[in-house]
Amino acid sequence: MADSDTLTKTRDATALDVPWNVVVHDDPVNLMGYVTWVLMKIFGYDEKRAAGLMLQVHQLGRSIVWTGQREKAEFYVQQLQAHLLQTSLEKAA
Amino acid sequence: MKITPTRGGGLRIDAEEPGDWLLLKGIAHDAVSGDEKPARRLGQLITDEEVAADWRDYVMPDLEAGFVADVLHVTTAIAAARFEAGDGPGPLWITREDAFPWYGTLNQARLALEERFHFGGHESVDPADLLPVPRAAFLRSHLYCAIQSLLLEHAL
Repeated sequence: MADSDTLTKTRDATALDVPWNVVVHDDPVNLMGYVTWVLMKIFGYDEKRAAGLMLQVHQLGRSIVWTGQREKAEFYVQQLQAHLLQTSLEKAA
Repeated sequence: MKITPTRGGGLRIDAEEPGDWLLLKGIAHDAVSGDEKPARRLGQLITDEEVAADWRDYVMPDLEAGFVADVLHVTTAIAAARFEAGDGPGPLWITREDAFPWYGTLNQARLALEERFHFGGHESVDPADLLPVPRAAFLRSHLYCAIQSLLLEHAL
C-alpha cells in the first residue's frame, strides 16, 4: 500500500513537468483588434507578436499563444476566458 | 441615438427618444438570453478530463460571477441614466473605468445572439433576407458591435 502511494505521487510529479499549451480558438464574435489587445494585456506581448497570433487564430482557427507549466497555463486560460475568448489548454506534443 | 467619444477616454451615448432606452435595455436582456451560461460555453473546449473536472468545480463559478457582475453593472448604469433623463432624451456616460464591463456585456449579448441565430460574419448576412425576429436580432448585434469598436478604439 505504501509502495502504491509512492508510485502515484511519482506519476503526478512527472505529469506536472509536461508543458501545456494555451490555445485560443476562432469565434464569430470577437473583434480582431480586441483579441490583439487581450493578448498584449495578459501576456505582455508587443503589438506585432500579438497581432501575428491573432491572425493565426483568424486564418487557421486556432493558435498556441503560450506554452509552459500547467498551473500557469490554467491561470492564463482563466484570464483569457474572463475576457470571453474561446480558450483551451492541452498537453504540448 | 448618437454615440461620441469623450475627451476623458470614454463614450457618451445620447438617447434621443424613449425607444433608444429600450434598445439599450435590450443589451442586458440579450446578454442573458443564451441557453448556456457563458462560462460553461467557454469551458467546452477544455477536454482533458482531469483539467475539465477542476475547471467545472473551481474556475467556472468565479468566471460566471464576473460575467453576471458585468451585466449588472451595465443594467444599473442604463437604468440610472434613463431615470435621470425621465425616459426622454438624455446622455449615458461610459467612462474609461467602465469600458471593460461594457465591452464584456456587449460580447455576452453578441455571443448569445450568435448561439441562437448563427449569423456568422456580419458581412455575409443581408438583413433583408431575414425574418423579422432574426432581422431585429441581427441589427441589435450590429449596433453592439459598433459600440464595441468605439470602446476598443477610444476607451480600452
